[in-house]
Amino acid sequence: MWIMLTVNNVSVGYNGVDVVKGVSFCVGDNENLSIIGPNGCGKTTLLRAIANILPYKGDIDIDGKPLRGMKHKEISLRIAMLSQLSGIYFQYSVYETVMMGRYLHIKDKLLGLPSKEDKACVMSCLEAVNLASHADRAITELSGGQLQRVFLARTLAQSPDLILLDEPTNHLDLKYQIELIDYLKDWAEDGGRSVIGVMHDINLAMKLSDNIMILKGGGVKAIGKADEVITDSILEDVYEIDVAGYMRQSLKRWEAIR
Amino acid sequence: MRVKVIITVTCALAVIVLGVAFGSVWIPPGVIWEVITYRIMGTELPEHVSQAAVAIVWNLRLPRTLLAFVVGAALSVSGAVMQSVLRNPLASSYTLGVSSGASLGAGVVILYGVTIPLLGAMSLPLLGFAFGLGTIVLVISFASRIDGRMENNTIILTGMVFSLFVNALTTLLSALQREHLQRLVLWQMGSFSMRDWQAVFILAPIAITGALFVAHYNRELDMMTFGEEQAKTMGVNLKRVKWLLLIVAAAITGSSVAFVGVIGFVDLVAPHIVRRIFGVSHRYVVPLSAVFGGAFMVLCDLVARTVVSPSELPVGAVSALVGAPFFAYIYFARRTRSA
Repeated sequence: MWIMLTVNNVSVGYNGVDVVKGVSFCVGDNENLSIIGPNGCGKTTLLRAIANILPYKGDIDIDGKPLRGMKHKEISLRIAMLSQLSGIYFQYSVYETVMMGRYLHIKDKLLGLPSKEDKACVMSCLEAVNLASHADRAITELSGGQLQRVFLARTLAQSPDLILLDEPTNHLDLKYQIELIDYLKDWAEDGGRSVIGVMHDINLAMKLSDNIMILKGGGVKAIGKADEVITDSILEDVYEIDVAGYMRQSLKRWEAIR
Repeated sequence: MRVKVIITVTCALAVIVLGVAFGSVWIPPGVIWEVITYRIMGTELPEHVSQAAVAIVWNLRLPRTLLAFVVGAALSVSGAVMQSVLRNPLASSYTLGVSSGASLGAGVVILYGVTIPLLGAMSLPLLGFAFGLGTIVLVISFASRIDGRMENNTIILTGMVFSLFVNALTTLLSALQREHLQRLVLWQMGSFSMRDWQAVFILAPIAITGALFVAHYNRELDMMTFGEEQAKTMGVNLKRVKWLLLIVAAAITGSSVAFVGVIGFVDLVAPHIVRRIFGVSHRYVVPLSAVFGGAFMVLCDLVARTVVSPSELPVGAVSALVGAPFFAYIYFARRTRSA
């Protein structure tokens, strides 16, 4: 395993106000990271900086190369991001939407047309999210969960080494939440790739990765293996409620139902 | 889709023929064809075709109709770009100050008699174009200075502020030189009358090059409709593409405005109607907005010059009068059917 992504003392924000303050961590290939924390703690903002959407202070390196000096194209061939749904979409077909993920692979080809390889890649990404049979449907006709899977397919079609997920399981039912996380873990493991996911659900965060980073007020509250950082006291401090107590109570209820 | 495209292109060609044929004297399409081959290929003119018909077709109606088509096409492509790049259905080059800038340039020439040495009558379109393009360059530069990410709202607001400022300058100049005010107002209304082949030969290459340039970016335009953040993460060099497309759209609008004055509406409605009929993919939206907008403008000019003949109506007003009900029909008919 080598270090794929290094984030060193990174601060990032909006209109001159830092939301993320001096965050440092690193992620190796074949290694995933889940980021959790309360609303407004800077999770999405941090992802946006890594995706080179927002300007940042500090250093972000990918494979030892500073992100800041890399060409736009080079970054997007390495890092892809699955954003939260925005709600306003036009009537592109599912196939057209996923093909957009091949943009950088197609752009410099003769006549700028997709090759057989590009078309096969799009279909295999659609199969991966169980939407191959919906290829010709308009994305405006899909449910929130189906739309989220289309965008995941588009992210996969980019063929990146690192996928950034911003609350990817929103809009998905339980079955697809679990399938999505399982699929992404396999995807990372098979190809020496990595996934960084921002999650609200602590259980899913632990399912995606054994490495957890907890943010509070823009800074790192804790980072490490799940059993080191998912503790009663840290969670209570971060979420300002007795999270562990709530979870245990829920578990008891489940056991009673059984 | 292919059938729809063939029907649209055929209708557009029919409208062009109608535009040349119809007027105070009806010229049959066969005669139009004979005049064109006579002038271009030097074929012999049949006896039944008079020199008057040659003059009407070749010197008056054909350049005028082609100019109307080119202007309509250029404005519509520009409108499609502005709406997609800025993700705003009401955005146009006019929102970003192109027509205000061009009006100021025209005001300088018309009200104060300023001309460019050696260019004479071409001073008006050239200064109109330069002021129009200059305004949008200032708008985008200013927007990128105050907002490094060049967000759409910043660009639109900056455009509106500059537009109002430049309009105020034109009003001020007009107030100080009232004797030529009517000429300026007439120019601002837009017209294709008294335009000859020179305007077509200058404007057509600009419009065609601009439209081809925009068409080359159809994939980026598609991706930008998903939002700037998503387009950027998929690899679109957003700032560069945005700059290029906005400037090219402004240049084709600016050059059209410079030759025929301010003609609104077509840039707003043509892309919307094309999206309704052909879908949202820019592979179709860009070229078919050109075809649809061009044909629409030829029809508007036909109405403008024939309804109160021998006088003319301002073509900008006609385009809104004809286009608004048509736009409403296309939009609301679909909505009612799907309700």
